[in-house]
Amino acid sequence: MKLNAKQQKNLKILGFLAPILIFSILFVYYPFCRNLINSLYAVSDKGELLRFVGLDNFRSVFSRRDFRQFFANTLLLTAINVPVTLFLTILLGRLAMKKRRLSPVYETMFALPMSISMSAAAMIFKSMFSPTLGCVNAWLGLKLGWFESRDTALYTCVILTVWMGIGFDYLLFQSAFRGIPREILEAADLDGTGFFTRLFKIELPLISPTVFYVLCTNAVLALMTSGPMILITQGGPSRSTGTLMYMMYASGFGSSNYSLAAVVSLVAFCLTFGLTLLSFLFERKKVFYQ
Amino acid sequence: MKKLFSLVLVLSLLLSGCGGAAPAETAPVQTAAPETTEAAATEPVLGSAPVNLTFWHSASDEAGVLMDKYIAEFNASNPYGITVKGIYQGQYSDATTLLKTLLSAENYSELPDVMQMDATGKMAYVNSGKAFTTQDALAAYPQPGFLEDYLPTALTNWQFAGTQLGLPFATSTTVTYYNADLLSAAGWDKAPDTFADISALYADLTAAGRTEKVLQTIPNSPTLANWLGQLGSYLVNNRNGADGVATALDCVDSGALETFLTAWKAMYDSGALLNEGSSSDLFISGGVAVMTGSSSNVHSILTKVDGAFEVGVAPYLRVNADAAYGAGVSGSCVVMFDSGDSLRKAAAWEFVKYLTSAEVQADFAAGTGYIPAHKGAMDTAVYQDLIAQYPQYAVAYQQLMDTPETITSVTVGPSKDFYYAVMQGVSDMLEYDQTPAEAAEILEDELTMLLEDYLRSNS
Amino acid sequence: MKRYTKERLWDALVSCIAIFLGLIIVFPVIYCILGAFKTPAEFASPVLLPKSFAYLENFRNALHQAPLLRYMVNSFITAFAGSFIRLAMAVCAAFALTHYDFRGKKLCFFFLLGTMMMPGDTLLMANYATVSRLGLLNSYLGMIIVSFVSASQMFLLRQKFLSFPKALRHAAMLDGCGDLRYLLTILLPLCRGTLTTLFVQSFLSLWNAYLWPLMVTASAPDMRTIMVGITKLNSWEDTNYELVLAGVTISLIPSFVLFALMRRNLNKDNTDGSLNG
Repeated sequence: MKLNAKQQKNLKILGFLAPILIFSILFVYYPFCRNLINSLYAVSDKGELLRFVGLDNFRSVFSRRDFRQFFANTLLLTAINVPVTLFLTILLGRLAMKKRRLSPVYETMFALPMSISMSAAAMIFKSMFSPTLGCVNAWLGLKLGWFESRDTALYTCVILTVWMGIGFDYLLFQSAFRGIPREILEAADLDGTGFFTRLFKIELPLISPTVFYVLCTNAVLALMTSGPMILITQGGPSRSTGTLMYMMYASGFGSSNYSLAAVVSLVAFCLTFGLTLLSFLFERKKVFYQ
Repeated sequence: MKKLFSLVLVLSLLLSGCGGAAPAETAPVQTAAPETTEAAATEPVLGSAPVNLTFWHSASDEAGVLMDKYIAEFNASNPYGITVKGIYQGQYSDATTLLKTLLSAENYSELPDVMQMDATGKMAYVNSGKAFTTQDALAAYPQPGFLEDYLPTALTNWQFAGTQLGLPFATSTTVTYYNADLLSAAGWDKAPDTFADISALYADLTAAGRTEKVLQTIPNSPTLANWLGQLGSYLVNNRNGADGVATALDCVDSGALETFLTAWKAMYDSGALLNEGSSSDLFISGGVAVMTGSSSNVHSILTKVDGAFEVGVAPYLRVNADAAYGAGVSGSCVVMFDSGDSLRKAAAWEFVKYLTSAEVQADFAAGTGYIPAHKGAMDTAVYQDLIAQYPQYAVAYQQLMDTPETITSVTVGPSKDFYYAVMQGVSDMLEYDQTPAEAAEILEDELTMLLEDYLRSNS
Repeated sequence: MKRYTKERLWDALVSCIAIFLGLIIVFPVIYCILGAFKTPAEFASPVLLPKSFAYLENFRNALHQAPLLRYMVNSFITAFAGSFIRLAMAVCAAFALTHYDFRGKKLCFFFLLGTMMMPGDTLLMANYATVSRLGLLNSYLGMIIVSFVSASQMFLLRQKFLSFPKALRHAAMLDGCGDLRYLLTILLPLCRGTLTTLFVQSFLSLWNAYLWPLMVTASAPDMRTIMVGITKLNSWEDTNYELVLAGVTISLIPSFVLFALMRRNLNKDNTDGSLNG
């Protein structure tokens, strides 16, 4: 059988895309959609669908005080986490752009947080930020209850999540900065362009695909934060650190309330997906691919 | 390459087909259980053939080392040719997640014969349809008076609707730890006993020129249930959910909730209480005079304090002078699953009896600080030595003997939500200066909403 | 000459700032390693340095209480194989999405991107049932099969591929270079840095996986991963930092080795810049 050029091309596309599509259907979409059915049913704690209840589950979840609080916390956490991570990692990437004698040392230092698991990091941070026995308070001469006080706990969680994300994003920026064609930079040097003009007018636009990537993935990850809450704060004190994902974990699966888990995960999904779509609209205007 | 993917596609289609068929296949297995007693006459007896058992446990750190030791000893010493394979399944909550997942996938072949679980697994076990409870075992292998050897409060913790589910393995209770040096600085030679004592101690400490607070904690549902129990009330009805699914709060009409909140607020208003989640850090560094904590932590607290001050242990704080003494039990138990094989079930029962025997319980107590649930352990040399060396441990044992029946742990569907709703309610009362009556009303609304939410899907 | 010394001074200053920032960033890791040498009583004080680095009791206990070395081998096998397959799938998908035009391309991209936003907890039970029906329980494949799809990797590679000029592909095509050969011999070598970064990240995240590998190997304790071993060092009711940190420190050794080996590759993305412009 002879295939024409178009068929051949389609077959190639299929070959490239089939594996990832099959696995994403089988192990992500199929389980997720099965789970979503729970949002429309009364589900027993054994996981049996008892009866169709329409949007009742949504109504009861939306009317919960903790849901509203956790929703707000999630947005606040994301609103702080994303710009801070972006600023820090661009700074580090730019610092490390030029190769220097000590490069290997600080490059490794910047990237090392990647290698620590969330559970280990949680334990380390909990111990470092302990109000009485931690070294942070001892050094800064503070008596702050970092994870214990309702005014600071969420911010301390952000410190932890930002730290967890630094390594990888820094590596991306470093390689993006180093990938800027030398002749462009040399031309800028000859023109006597100042440092900040050069950074904002030349370098950042050139690495905008990376900026866009980091922005998007960080927003998604931040909106889905639950690690520090599960491992350290349990959403407290007084629900000040609870997030949607934490609610899904604790009030949903932890208490075998599968309808609640489904409702919350659907809300989180819509929120994240909506935000991603928005940023892709922005991509068309601002991101520059060569 | 492409062949492989079409294969996967076909497989996935097959899967969705299998999904519908699976429950029908397993249905007869569930009804097969009652036959085992009829067939007793022809059953093979233990020892007639070697048996292999699977045992899931969550014993980590020192407890893990001990658990491995007990398994090895049992395998070497039992006369029936039973070999137990112990598998560590992560923390209790992970093992519970695994159990729930296994059950929802109806993959019963992966179920163990014996499993160690804490309160998080209790309802999953009750609902599993594959439980071989201690009650069942005692019916199949009668042994009159067997349960009388165990501490009653430890046993009731592992009952549901009157059925003894499993036997207690690791048992602890909550006690009061105090910094004896700080107490003597305030001129106290005995531990504070009631909330009013905490306030009085704070006044004396301040008078002596000390700046330390006395207590740092926010009550959660288990500790609240303890204190309500001291006042003769349950947190929720059906004896805190032990006799059946809880449907309403029990502590509002009895007035116990408001009594507690009033006493709690008085303690805060006196300045003695820090309205922060409790951790042992502050106590260890000498920042608070008193801490409530698990009785099993005696050894680790002594190690951390390392002689910086003298650590005393006293019975759990009481709400007021009229309240009963005592606190509920926490820890873990060992339960059995119905493998459908009578030989394995009999062997599992032998192993459970061994793990909860006086000798093992005494040895475990000496190694970890848990309270031996078997009364016979009291008479063993190992336990006597421990009490002689650390008199602090005796307090917990005595407290468990004295605890009244109203103090029993809370079993509700939305257990985590309950836990944090109580914390928030009590903490908010202090933070936003609500009256105890207001705070009680907010808590009632919140907790009732959680119960109703659960009942809507599970009644 | 003057400009040269000025530049060297500047470099030295930047290096100092970078090292200072690096120390802050890496501090929790150092804290972890130092903590592994402390006694429980030392942990009950804010002093950073342990009294003696010869105190190896924690390491000895950690290795005694859980078969960490055996678990590390399992973690290595699953993390290596899983990362490789994951990366291969992401490369294929990113290539198709950037180098072909076809109907439903956008849809396909967002469909894949959507997998990033589905929380793992919701997938656990149904995936367990699937893997169980496939007969993959208690196997290495079962431990990694659910993590083959990585939308974020696909996304990053898409960004990378898009940044190469179209002229490159045309030139290759004129030379008679087919799509697959173009991908393997031209495009991927140019992305060595990105690929290495992604591989390292993926390796570390699979290395640190806990709940899924635990559940899938319920009957095969010999196949457990390192994180299960570390959890086994945790005591029941009180945190024993020193022992767990000793376990974490042991588990970090392979990560350090990986970093050392891969670091040289991390910055290999078209450093000469000759392909751009």
